[in-house]
Amino acid sequence: MESISRISSLLETARDLTLEAARDAGPRKPSRPLPVPQIKKLLDSRTERDVLDGLRRVISMQYANPPQPTLTFFPAVLKTLSTPYPSTRPLVYNYLIHHAEQDPDTALLSINTIQKSLSDSNPRVRAMALKTMSGIRIPMISQIVSLAVKKGVSDLSPLVRKAAALACVKCIRLDDTTRPQVEEYLATLLLDKQYYVAGAAVQAFIEVCPERLDLIHPAYRRLCKMVVDMDEWGQLALIRLMTVYARKCFPRRTKRARRAQTREEKEKGFYEDLEPKDEEEAGYDDVEVTDPDLVLFLTSIQPLLQSRNSAVIVAVTRAYLYLSPTTHLLHATGPLIALLRSPQDIQQVALHNILQVCLNDPSQFVPYLLHFLIRSTEPPQIRGLKFELLTLIFPHSGKECQDLILAELEHFSHSHDADLVGESVRAIGRCAQASLARTSRRCLSLLLKQIHSADSNLVGEAIEVIRHLIQRSPNEHRKTVIRLAKNLDTLTSSSARASIIWLVGEFVGTEGEDSIAADVLRILVKGYAAEADEVRAQIILLAAKVYLGFCNTRNAASKKSATDSRSVEEESYEQMDDANNNGDFNGDALAGDEPTHPIELLYNYTMLLARYTPSYDLRDRARLYRALLAVPTSTELASLILWAPKPVPVAQSPGEARRKFLLGSAGLIVGAGGLQGTYTLPEWVGEGEEPDSKLRDEGEEAREYVPVAGRDKVVSAGSRLDEALGADAVRAKNKSLDDWLDEESEGESEETEEEEEEESSGEEESGSEEESEEESEEEGDERSGLVR
Amino acid sequence: MSAIEALYIFDEHNNLILNHTYIGRPPPPSTLLPLYLQHASPRPSLIYLPTTNPPTLLYSMIQDNLLFFSPLSSDTEPLLVLEFLHRVADALEEFLGSPLLASKITANYDVVAQVIAEIADGGVPCQGEANALRDVVETGPGVLNNLLGKVGLPGGSAPGLQGGPSGRLHTPPLRPAETAQGSAVPWRRSNVRHTSNELYVDLVETLSVTLAPSGRPLSAFAYGSIAFTSKVSGVPDLLLSLSTGGKGGGMGNRGDQLRSVIERVVFHPCVRLNRWNSDGVLSFVPPDGRFALCGYEVDLLGPDAPLTAGKTAANNLNLPAMVEITTGLGSSGSDFEVRMTQPSSSSSRAGSAAAASLQSNLGSGSRPGSFRAGSGGGESKGSALENLTVRVPLPAGVRNISDMRPSKGEAHWNPADGSVEWKVPSKDFGPAGVVLRCTVQGPLSDADEAGGMLNGVTATTYDYTDDEPATYQSQHDSDSTAGGTNGAQDNSRTRAQKNRALMPTSTTLSFSIKGWLASGLKVESLLVDTKKSRGLGPEVKPYKGVKYLTVSRDGIEVRC
Repeated sequence: MESISRISSLLETARDLTLEAARDAGPRKPSRPLPVPQIKKLLDSRTERDVLDGLRRVISMQYANPPQPTLTFFPAVLKTLSTPYPSTRPLVYNYLIHHAEQDPDTALLSINTIQKSLSDSNPRVRAMALKTMSGIRIPMISQIVSLAVKKGVSDLSPLVRKAAALACVKCIRLDDTTRPQVEEYLATLLLDKQYYVAGAAVQAFIEVCPERLDLIHPAYRRLCKMVVDMDEWGQLALIRLMTVYARKCFPRRTKRARRAQTREEKEKGFYEDLEPKDEEEAGYDDVEVTDPDLVLFLTSIQPLLQSRNSAVIVAVTRAYLYLSPTTHLLHATGPLIALLRSPQDIQQVALHNILQVCLNDPSQFVPYLLHFLIRSTEPPQIRGLKFELLTLIFPHSGKECQDLILAELEHFSHSHDADLVGESVRAIGRCAQASLARTSRRCLSLLLKQIHSADSNLVGEAIEVIRHLIQRSPNEHRKTVIRLAKNLDTLTSSSARASIIWLVGEFVGTEGEDSIAADVLRILVKGYAAEADEVRAQIILLAAKVYLGFCNTRNAASKKSATDSRSVEEESYEQMDDANNNGDFNGDALAGDEPTHPIELLYNYTMLLARYTPSYDLRDRARLYRALLAVPTSTELASLILWAPKPVPVAQSPGEARRKFLLGSAGLIVGAGGLQGTYTLPEWVGEGEEPDSKLRDEGEEAREYVPVAGRDKVVSAGSRLDEALGADAVRAKNKSLDDWLDEESEGESEETEEEEEEESSGEEESGSEEESEEESEEEGDERSGLVR
Repeated sequence: MSAIEALYIFDEHNNLILNHTYIGRPPPPSTLLPLYLQHASPRPSLIYLPTTNPPTLLYSMIQDNLLFFSPLSSDTEPLLVLEFLHRVADALEEFLGSPLLASKITANYDVVAQVIAEIADGGVPCQGEANALRDVVETGPGVLNNLLGKVGLPGGSAPGLQGGPSGRLHTPPLRPAETAQGSAVPWRRSNVRHTSNELYVDLVETLSVTLAPSGRPLSAFAYGSIAFTSKVSGVPDLLLSLSTGGKGGGMGNRGDQLRSVIERVVFHPCVRLNRWNSDGVLSFVPPDGRFALCGYEVDLLGPDAPLTAGKTAANNLNLPAMVEITTGLGSSGSDFEVRMTQPSSSSSRAGSAAAASLQSNLGSGSRPGSFRAGSGGGESKGSALENLTVRVPLPAGVRNISDMRPSKGEAHWNPADGSVEWKVPSKDFGPAGVVLRCTVQGPLSDADEAGGMLNGVTATTYDYTDDEPATYQSQHDSDSTAGGTNGAQDNSRTRAQKNRALMPTSTTLSFSIKGWLASGLKVESLLVDTKKSRGLGPEVKPYKGVKYLTVSRDGIEVRC
């Protein structure tokens, strides 16, 4: 969603900024810089107004650019802490946090006063004091901070508890040795009933100890239910945490469920019960079974797709993509598209993420095709991403959509922006590559049309893409090559000419005698002098290839004839070899000597041209070919080199390279790996290695026992402590719970048992997939009902 | 890991005006700025700078000409940081008034410092709601209110409101006892008091329409936002119902109708999603002051418009103005013409452009909750077309526009971004339409040719840099024809061809209309639920106002 300030600017367009600025410079501006003693005097004053004025001046100096020295005011500022005015306190705290590091000794003087504020009757004052104290960057006071946090954790006011949660982060930053205590506090706060406290606790947890997932178990279900009410930042942290949690705690299970049967099969089953089982094997499908707790998480974050915060939407999509791509991801498509109407800075990031999802499953974006049409006003980064999305969608869309996409790409291939032209032509190429033969042909003919364009840049790009397409299936494109070769008469773009000549050369080997290559070479050689070096190189290469083809066919023929009549032929060839060997070095002398085949003549002529080309690179190449083809009877090496099978070029979607990055990470946007702090999702936990699901029941119990929020804190803090002491304690506790609810534990059998049961029931009763799923759901309901 | 490290703000001349470090030792703004400016504008919102120490991900955002920077050394969710920057801008605007100006920030460092410190605690973003910050940020006791107040209230935006204590920063100082427990609603500050109670709904739609060369719309979307201004005491509980104005009929109940028209809705957290999903109404407890309630989009073509075939004329969109562009005109093909017309269906609308009653006053009169139609017979009558601008981007090869002939309005050529801008006063824009004709001049390399044209000499100069294929081809073509006329024909053809490369490929239209929405959406009623509301007497009848605005900012693009 657009931020309110942007909407306002739309509404009030006529406002004159300069007028505003002039007026604005009025009353508040003239805080004329006062001399230091005078400010000190203000700070020492007894009236609130003066003190405040003094503090304001100090803060302004502190932020001014270039910053002015304000350290000298430290004692004077601290002294104002003793005044009873609430208005001055935030400014003093701000100053304190800013300067504590530079003068720790003076800062320490204030600790006492702040500590006193920690037990103020006003929770806002307490929260602010806690916040400030933890913000003072003096490692010496870490223990005091830790104590203050401990006190805050059990405060009655949620405001203070929230401050305490955030203070945990700062406490760890201050001194890492406080970690065990802080983790303890966080465990308590995670169970808080107030959603914004829990949200802050999750944020802190992510910062402090994201690997301590054991602390999450008891809070899991409650956090999932509270996520809708949390603020955006809490939601973000929670989704991120739970995505990791789900991977580590819910093994990916598949259940063999019976495929929905056709009526025939049913009838058959009805009459022929006793058929051997193995025949029915085909009737089973592997169906993913999602843990009810995971389902709880996935469904409870679904309303967040209507959040105004784009980060939340992408986070939910990430959870769906990596946890349940089949069932839930669909819901996220629309909201992702909605991000395209956000401001441009967000739009670009959103497009990267959409692309990542699209790579996973392009078909679901087909209905939103129109959103990806390019607008001429868009910056190139966004344009490129949209082109890519269009090409990804292309093979999955219907004929009408394909027409639209191609028309769109064609339109932009006539643009004046060289980059844009290249991008759109390459996009057409990708479309051709990804689709069926028929549509591919359409793309190709579209590209072929571009060859006649006056824009040499466009022609070059188009031929390049055509070359790739032809290389992918050379046999189908013989005619195309001939058509292209015809264009050599008119084309000017040297890269395009070079590409075509190369293509013609590639077809020498496959076509043998019918090849047009020799003819093309003949025509080209005439204009050799006028060509660019790029084209000349290809002409020389073509000559070598043509000559090689000629030699090969002759050798093959001679071998055949050799079986019939050896003696005479061999001699004559040997002679010829000699002649050629000499001819290479003094061709002029030999040219008239022996009437050779036109191709030989052509080759010799080309090599001669190459020999007198200014570019030594070309001269080198020619020398190489000459040496390779020096002996016309042994062309194996030359064939290996010149006709080496070329790898088929695959124009990958540029986004493919970024596929390894996690959705919603910065690495995905900048396309650079190895950023510091890149987090990756763990693999799914193996079956049987996951933590017991009963661990998650516990949090609910705690709430059962102590309904009052305040007491809740105290009691659960103690229980958390126990838990931290060792997992055994938890087990024991669980056991006692089990005893108490032994019925429940009966109903809620071990996972493996459940599976066995389901499997056997599936086999025996021929229950359909839905039925068995319903069963397990009912079980889940039962269980949760009992727990409540 | 997801902590913000620092926040830098630069003014429009790239002077640093705010430097706040939350944690760590991020690279200073002086090293980041040049690296940022290296990139070509428009600059990406996220730039990776591996050369700084530590290697930095630089997030940036521009709001009201101010440049916001946030460097991060580790991989974070990029949208989190960008949304954070937007929230900072929103919060500063809430306290300092809109628009945000560098001078306001430098004059109020004390407030700014508090806002920035509160919005992220130790770098962890923890408070996204600007209004809730009012509870914690001290703007000082009464003395300074006058000073701040003048800053806070933007002139002319709401002239009727200045008297009341409802404006920003007129809030009386908070007494500790009142704020003790904090607000029960996390996005609303506690103890809201207003003497005059007012509610305003602003529906703003931004158009994004693409038209094919044939004039057929390829895509047409209206991106809408509902900005809400609440100045009501206590904790009001409001119910806003929208109506589609006849669209999406036959789709079941009103909620379904509404949802079929406005799609992909996002809400401020205060909106109760259940009520929306069940009844299609917006039920919410608003933050105090101004906020964005909801964002949506409308597909103006309708859900089942054919993609390529069919003859959906642009008229169906009901746009108040339409543009056509014809290129390659004139003897040498160096002219293009832009024609702006009024589609017949909308001509009646803009006729009464003078109607100024944009805020239909409602609620105070007969039935509570229903809008008294202020302009009689629907909003469209009262709509006013403003800021009519056509922009024609031209290729980089265009050196100059030698001739611009607008039939109305003013056109000028802007060489910096290579475009022609044509402004038409709305009073001059009648049903007959207006026309702009321009002649382009190519690059200097063929100055001889251009010179020839300027001097009015008919083309007798031969172009030596002529590309071969053309001559080659034309030789083929004209083998049979007599050689005499050959040269001249040939030349004009090549010139036309060359000029084709100088023709624009698209043009965009901008305008704004008050009192009309492209989607036809209307506010049906706005009710204060007196039972659920607290701190608001039953006799209090807030003044309610509604405003519609449709904006196109280069939003209508016509290709050719």
